[in-house]
Amino acid sequence: MLSRVLTIAITLLVMIPFLWMILLSFKDNQAILSNPLSLPESFNLDNYKRAFETLDMALLYKNTFFIAAVSVLLGLVITFMSSFAISRMIFKREKFKNSLYLFLIAGLAIPPFILLFPIYRITISLGIENTYLSLILPYIATTISFNTLLFIGFLKDFPTEIEEAAVIDGCNLFTLCTKVVFPVVKPVIMTIFIFNILYVWNEFPFAVTLISDPSHMTIPLAISEFKGRYNIDYGGIVSASLLFIIPQLIFYTIFQKHIIEGMTAGAVKG
Amino acid sequence: MRWFSSNKNKLLMLLPTVLLYLAYILMPIVIAIYYSFTKFTGIGTPQYVGMSNYQRLFSDPIFIIALKNTFIVLFVTLLILIPGAFLLSLLLNKKMKGLGTIRAINYSPSIIAPIMVGLIWVFILDPQIGLINTFLTKIGLGELTFQWIGGETLTPFSVAIVQSWQSLGYIATIFLAGLTLIPKDLYEAADIDGASKFQQLIHVTIPLLNETFKLNIILVITLCFKIFETVLQLTNGGPNHLSDVLVTYMYSTTFTAGEYGYGMAIAVASLVATILFAGAFLGLFTLGKRVSNKEGV
Repeated sequence: MLSRVLTIAITLLVMIPFLWMILLSFKDNQAILSNPLSLPESFNLDNYKRAFETLDMALLYKNTFFIAAVSVLLGLVITFMSSFAISRMIFKREKFKNSLYLFLIAGLAIPPFILLFPIYRITISLGIENTYLSLILPYIATTISFNTLLFIGFLKDFPTEIEEAAVIDGCNLFTLCTKVVFPVVKPVIMTIFIFNILYVWNEFPFAVTLISDPSHMTIPLAISEFKGRYNIDYGGIVSASLLFIIPQLIFYTIFQKHIIEGMTAGAVKG
Repeated sequence: MRWFSSNKNKLLMLLPTVLLYLAYILMPIVIAIYYSFTKFTGIGTPQYVGMSNYQRLFSDPIFIIALKNTFIVLFVTLLILIPGAFLLSLLLNKKMKGLGTIRAINYSPSIIAPIMVGLIWVFILDPQIGLINTFLTKIGLGELTFQWIGGETLTPFSVAIVQSWQSLGYIATIFLAGLTLIPKDLYEAADIDGASKFQQLIHVTIPLLNETFKLNIILVITLCFKIFETVLQLTNGGPNHLSDVLVTYMYSTTFTAGEYGYGMAIAVASLVATILFAGAFLGLFTLGKRVSNKEGV
C-alpha cells in the first residue's frame, strides 16, 4: 500500500510541469500574471491560434524531419558498412582492426561542445553555412561512435555460418550485406534508429551554431527563440511549446516500449 | 569472410565512416587545441600566445564561478537522482496495476528536447509567475518564496532539479534493468534465513547492483558536464555570469564575445576536467570495491 502511494506521488510530481503548461495555455496573459493558479474560466484557444499564426509549423517540421531522416539513414548505412568490414573482413594485421575499432568508439568520450567552434570554421571554409548539409554532416559524425559500438557488439556475437553459406552459394558483397546480414542486425538497428532520431530531433547546440537563416531553422532552434519572439506573451510561449511537446508525446506513447528499451540498451552497452 | 576481403572492398566499406570521423571529430579536436594556444578575434590570422589562455583561466573569476556552478549542479543532481531513481526502480519492480503507464509517464521527460525542458521550467521556477512561488504565496508560506532563478545563488541548485526531473525515469529504467537480473532465489534464501526486507536491500540488492550504480553515476557525471540548454533558458548565465556553467561560459566567450582562442581554452579545460573527474570516480570506485572485498573475506 505504501509503495503504491509513493509510486503515484512520484509520478504526479513528474507530471506537474506538463499539467501546469496545459493549464496556463488556456488562460489569457492577464490571468497568467494576476492569478496563475486559478483554473481557466473557459477553454480559451486564443493562445493556440496566436501560436499557430506566428509559427511556420510546416516549415519547421519539414526542416527537422528532412535533416533527421537523412542523417539517421546515411549514418546507419555507413556505420553498418564499416562495422561489417571491421567485424567480418580479414585484415593482414589483426591489431590494425582492433585499433580502428577503439579509435572509432573513442568519440563517446568527446562532449560535442569542444567541436562546435571548429566545426563552425570547417563549415565556413566548405562554404556550406546555412544549408541542411552543414547540420547533417556533424549529426552523422557524432553518432558514428555509438553506432559502431552497438553494431560491432552485436555482430561479434553472431555466428557467421549463414553468411559463409551464402557466399559459397555465390552471392556478392552487396547482396550479402542487404539480404543476409541486414535482416540479422534488425533488432540492433531499431535501437540505433531510436537513439539517433531522438538525438537529432532534439539537438540544439550544433543547430544554433551553424544555422542562422530562418528558412533552414529546426524545431529546437525555433523553441529557443520563443522567449524573444513572444516577449512577455506567456500564453503564446506555453501554447507554442505544447504544439511541439504533444506530437512528440503521442509518438512516444505509440513507440514507448521500443523507445525505453532502445535507450536503456544504448546506455547499458554504451 | 576472406572472400571479399580485397583491399578495394575494405576501402569501399570503411572509407565513408573513417573520412567523416577524421574530418568532423578528430580534426575539430586538433583545431580546438590549436586555437586554445592563440589569440583570435575572427579577423586576420590567429596569433600564437603559448600557454597564456590557460594561465588566464586560473585568474578569471567567471571561470572559477562557472567551474563551481558546474560542480554544484553535479553534486546536487547526484544527491537527488541516484537515491531518487533507485527508489523509483524498487517501486517499479513490484507487480502493480497500470505499471506500464506509470513507467511511461516517469520516462517521458527524457525524450523531450533539453531546450524545451528549460523553457517548461521557466514557468515553474520564475520568481514572479512561476508555479512554486505563486503556490507558496497562495498557501500562506510567502516567506519561503525565493529567487529560484536569476538571483545570485540558487540557479545552479534549480538547474540540478531540472536535470533530475529530466533524467529520473531514464536512470530508474537502468536500475530496473539491473534489478531484474538479480536471481529470485537469493531473496528466497534470505527470507528463509529470516532477513528483513530492509536487510535484503542492504545485503543483497545494493551489493549486487554495484556495477549499475557505477554506470549510472558515470552517466550522471557526463550528463551534468553537458548541461547547456537548461541554463540558457533559465537565466542565460545571468545576472553577470553568476549562473554560468562551464559550457555556457565557453559558448558565450566564443560566440558572443568573439574570443575564440580563450573560448577554446575553456572548452579544452572542461574536457580535461570531465575526463579527470570521471576517471577519479572510477579509480575510487574500484579501490573501494577492492577494500570492501577484502573485508568481506
